[in-house]
Amino acid sequence: MTSIIELLLFPSGLFVLALGLAYEWVDRKLLAQMQNRIGPRWFQPFADLIKLLAKEEIVPEGVNRVLFLGLPVVALAGALTAALYVPLLGLAPAYSFPGDLIVTVYLLSLLTLCMGLAGANTLDRFSLIGATRTLTQLFSYEAPFMLALLAPALVAGTWQISGIVAHADGQWMLLTQPLGFIVAIIGLMGKLEMPPFDAPEAETEIVAGALTEYSGRGYALFRLGKNVELVVGLTLVAAFYLGGVLNPIDFVLKTGGLLLVMVGVHAVMTRMRIEQTVGLWWRYGALLVLVQILIQLVWKVAAA
Amino acid sequence: MSNLVDQITAGLKTWARVNSPWVIHFNSGSCNGCDIEILATLTPRYDLERFGVKLQGSPRHADVLVCTGPVTRQARERLIRIYEQMPEPKFVVAVGSCAVSGGVFEGCYNVMGGIDRVIPVHAFIPGCPPRPEAIIDGVVKLLSSLQSPAPVQPIMGPDGGKA
Ligand code: SF4
Repeated sequence: MTSIIELLLFPSGLFVLALGLAYEWVDRKLLAQMQNRIGPRWFQPFADLIKLLAKEEIVPEGVNRVLFLGLPVVALAGALTAALYVPLLGLAPAYSFPGDLIVTVYLLSLLTLCMGLAGANTLDRFSLIGATRTLTQLFSYEAPFMLALLAPALVAGTWQISGIVAHADGQWMLLTQPLGFIVAIIGLMGKLEMPPFDAPEAETEIVAGALTEYSGRGYALFRLGKNVELVVGLTLVAAFYLGGVLNPIDFVLKTGGLLLVMVGVHAVMTRMRIEQTVGLWWRYGALLVLVQILIQLVWKVAAA
Repeated sequence: MSNLVDQITAGLKTWARVNSPWVIHFNSGSCNGCDIEILATLTPRYDLERFGVKLQGSPRHADVLVCTGPVTRQARERLIRIYEQMPEPKFVVAVGSCAVSGGVFEGCYNVMGGIDRVIPVHAFIPGCPPRPEAIIDGVVKLLSSLQSPAPVQPIMGPDGGKA
């Protein structure tokens, strides 16, 4: 019984959805403030969600119906499952096993993969270009982001998220591994397709990218999935690099600070072309984080 | 009991619709004066995100179709197609004298007339071009009428779209 409540209400399930909506609002509000606007009201993401859910869902001609309707559900489920393994609000993760870090990172990628498939499933040319760009971007940030999260894991000597968090408690790895932190935060922005990495959904070129043909429920679920991914990603990076999340206040402060940095980058940068994004990751991102891991290994061997 | 639940969900849906209108902008033959005013409306100066307004590129994501200009014979098919691509419930706002009645282009050989000759229109905003305040006022009036007992009904032109 308690485990069902834990799964559906708190600290996962509905609670993560609400947290995701709240973080979307913080994101939009901060951006508006930086652009000298007032910004949306606090219930804006919630109103958007309800409106989208209450709208007609159009299934366009020439698509695979099952895939078209099923992909948003799979995407959201993947993001929600990933939320089970991270220390939300500083509480211990609901589930944990050795190696869950890798599972979590790939569950987060499931959302992007579903978006790519959803775009490729429709006949619309904007969706197709969007899907190609989404998948290209996925394959460029995935490896550096993964490596950046593995660097703290190497220090802690375990691939279990709770183990790494326990090791990172009060120890700001941001100071000992600055390169890894930079790659992790930029990787998170790429994962969330935040500007300047929003070439996959560039609204001035390709309408809305892979999700152009989605309306109503499907679009709402994809947006929700993205919000959950934002929370999970922020939690992971904050817990690994900012000295762990100990209690709810600590959690809110640290993830909020990270979000502020990300929105700042968003506000001052323009969109990069897709090949610039790929070049950035493979030329600099992967290299930086590899150097970081190398230094770390040498240090470990030297210290031993 | 189920009656009450129905009422609450209906109220919630209307509240969400009123508070999150996503717009798509279509120019069916305007002189561009109205379009510049619409873009001015969406700038940080007026900051429509305060009211939840967001400009969308895809008709599938939009709730309100903001049309400018008279409908030219060439744009007619496109306008109908964009209108039909939008999911229900959808609203149409005609911005500018030309969109309302054909304006200075009325009677041209290549012009059908106002937007209501082609698709049903919920709100007309006159002016050549209307100021951003007028556009905001029109959209707000349309949306607040949704919460009143008698929401606005869309109307078609005299020939019912058969033009
Ligand atoms: S109403 Fe005036 S500004 Fe608007 S399209 Fe017509 S002529 Fe141009």
